[in-house]
Amino acid sequence: MRRKINAGKMLDTVVTYAILLAVAFVFFFPCLWLILASFSKSGSIYSFDGFFPAQYSTASFVKLFTDTTMYNYPKWFLNTLLIAAGSCALGTFLTILTAYTMSRFTFRMRKPMMKTTMVLGMFPSFMGMTVVYLLMTQFGLINHLGGLILIYASGAPMGYLTQKGFFDTIPKSIDEAAKIDGATNFQIFTRINLPLSKPIIVYTALTSFTWPWSDFILPKLLLKEKNLYTVAVGLMSLDETEFARFAAGSVFIAVPIVILYFCLVKNMVNGISEGAVKG
Amino acid sequence: MKKKSIALLMIASLSIGIFTGCGKNTDSAQTAPDTQTGEESGIVSTVFNGELEHDVTIQVLENDTAVSKGYFAELIKAFNEEYAEYGIVAVDANMNQYLDLANDGPYGYGPDVLYQANDIIMQYAEGKHIYPLPVEKMECFDKIPETAWAAYRIELGGTAYTCGVPVNVQAPMLYYRKDLLPEDWETNWDDNGNKIPDMAENWNAMYAYSVNRHEEDSSRYGYMKSLYDVYFSSGFLFTYGGYVFGNNNTDPSDIGFSAGEAEKGAWVLSQLAGAMSEECIDDSITTNAYSKLADGTYFATITTPDMYSTFLDEMVLAYENEGIEEAEARARAEENLVMTTLPSLPESGDLTEENATFLEAKSMGGINGYAISAYTKYPNACLAFVEFATSYEMMVKRSELLGVAPARNDAADTAGGTSQLLYDNLESGNIVLMPSIKEVSQIWTPGETFFTDLAKDAFRTEKEKKYTDLDAMKKGLETVDQQIYDAIFTLK
Repeated sequence: MRRKINAGKMLDTVVTYAILLAVAFVFFFPCLWLILASFSKSGSIYSFDGFFPAQYSTASFVKLFTDTTMYNYPKWFLNTLLIAAGSCALGTFLTILTAYTMSRFTFRMRKPMMKTTMVLGMFPSFMGMTVVYLLMTQFGLINHLGGLILIYASGAPMGYLTQKGFFDTIPKSIDEAAKIDGATNFQIFTRINLPLSKPIIVYTALTSFTWPWSDFILPKLLLKEKNLYTVAVGLMSLDETEFARFAAGSVFIAVPIVILYFCLVKNMVNGISEGAVKG
Repeated sequence: MKKKSIALLMIASLSIGIFTGCGKNTDSAQTAPDTQTGEESGIVSTVFNGELEHDVTIQVLENDTAVSKGYFAELIKAFNEEYAEYGIVAVDANMNQYLDLANDGPYGYGPDVLYQANDIIMQYAEGKHIYPLPVEKMECFDKIPETAWAAYRIELGGTAYTCGVPVNVQAPMLYYRKDLLPEDWETNWDDNGNKIPDMAENWNAMYAYSVNRHEEDSSRYGYMKSLYDVYFSSGFLFTYGGYVFGNNNTDPSDIGFSAGEAEKGAWVLSQLAGAMSEECIDDSITTNAYSKLADGTYFATITTPDMYSTFLDEMVLAYENEGIEEAEARARAEENLVMTTLPSLPESGDLTEENATFLEAKSMGGINGYAISAYTKYPNACLAFVEFATSYEMMVKRSELLGVAPARNDAADTAGGTSQLLYDNLESGNIVLMPSIKEVSQIWTPGETFFTDLAKDAFRTEKEKKYTDLDAMKKGLETVDQQIYDAIFTLK
């Protein structure tokens, strides 16, 4: 009987792991292929030995950062970094403020505003692209990185519901206790609720950073000058014979996201545990 | 009451939507000059009055090859020195070469001068996004053949306007590897003893060699090209009487892919596909030809002359990978890579025919040139730039650096070689210029569908083959004509 259970458990474990490995392989393999392709010596996808490059070298990465006559990857990278960092800072600030207001204060039109933003959030963002383009031409913000930051940051608070949900979980009794002690709303926000909200701030910052970092449609629409391109638009403009450069550029674009994740993930965990103690 | 309010609100919002389109247009977008007004003949001289605008910067959009090979930098440097006394400065527009002047131009985000293919420029001309030019007053006018000027001509209200200045001729060229010729080619593959291999002179020899090469080693091929590409494949139809549009490519109601004996051209393609791999069905060969020709998998292919340097670089890399020093690798690549005009085609369309009579091959081509945006504030400075860029010296320099064939006869003479051959082909009518009317955009998909099907046929079993004889091919081409006609006229 005992043996039977062990055999059943083992089978279950084997099947589970087999499925997990298969799923992991499906997701990991394209990444692995792209990374290996970026180190291809020939630079052409057609000289591969079967599925993988026949010879390897770092030439594509060197070319990516040194050969900037036609394709100025370092400049695209800096543009993307600037847009993503700006949108991240401003977007996070606005989202947190919106979410906190909706969570903590009751005012007239609060419910209709919440419903409206929820319905508006259901429409895909590219639906308004023509209008955005026309508005940007009127404000003279075509070919301006600041224009993109403005659009990303102003659109970010539309997704405040997750953050509001987090603020809702912080007991209001803490706010009331602080109020009895004479704290103002601003003090309650900055000294009590913000320190408890590190995980959601980190989450908001990460999502606010990654969206503009990988977006293609908006920069393609608003940036006409090659030197102002973001990495996504720039990589799309590469010639068909530049596959290795494309692969190298695609691999390198993941670096800041990975660094940012590892820097911030600690704060997410700390924030959660900090909140738990206080709660 | 509540329902009534909602209904009223909805009516109000709908009304706002409806009336948005009414009223005076007050947006700041500039509007292109209306070339259909009464003073059409005066417009050109009104805009280009010869008074150079002083202390201005003009944005010039060149093609990527000119930028990457350094020609464009030399051009604007020379122009800026020449016009320094007027304070006119030409700069790189720094935009994607495939720009969208129709959408970006009105808001001031397009270039002042643009370099594009004739079909693109003429689509802009139809939309009045570029200026008609006073070409007859230009120095290059009588140095460029009438065929080339015709590609930039548009007729409005009974007056003909020329909207671009031809710079170079683009047409398919044959690329092959001299070092991959059979060792005995001078005795067995040079029937007329002119020291040019028969494969480069007629398609029958090319086909025979392709079959031989593949039979000897199944991983190697002779001639390889993606058949679906209408730009390259349609020339085979033109040689036997096919055409795109009637009345010199200006009448979209007369579609002629099946005209004359065009089916013989389709048969030639079908036979060539039989000596290729299945990659000829899609665009695989178009994109891998550079590396496959370099590593010796392919013996020959066709593409435009501006790709010469890409083929050369790939061959240099291939030789370097074999351990050869860079200088020697380059010298060897230059020696072995040959670019020449297309081989002639058998009159019968049969690539296996012995002692065949041959016809000169026709091909679809294009004329790349300069145009001036209708949204520029400095038309005279732009015209000065175009004059400068199309001068003999600059055209020769362009040809030297980029390997392109100049549209000017004196520059083509100086460049010699394939540039001269291409120029001659243009003058003799063997290069059929891509139509310059907007309906041309409807020819690609039906054409691609047919050529793809034709390529697939070579890999179908005998039972499944669709194009078993010339009649079937004729019917296939007639269907293409009908599909193009429907695409153009169904909703007109």
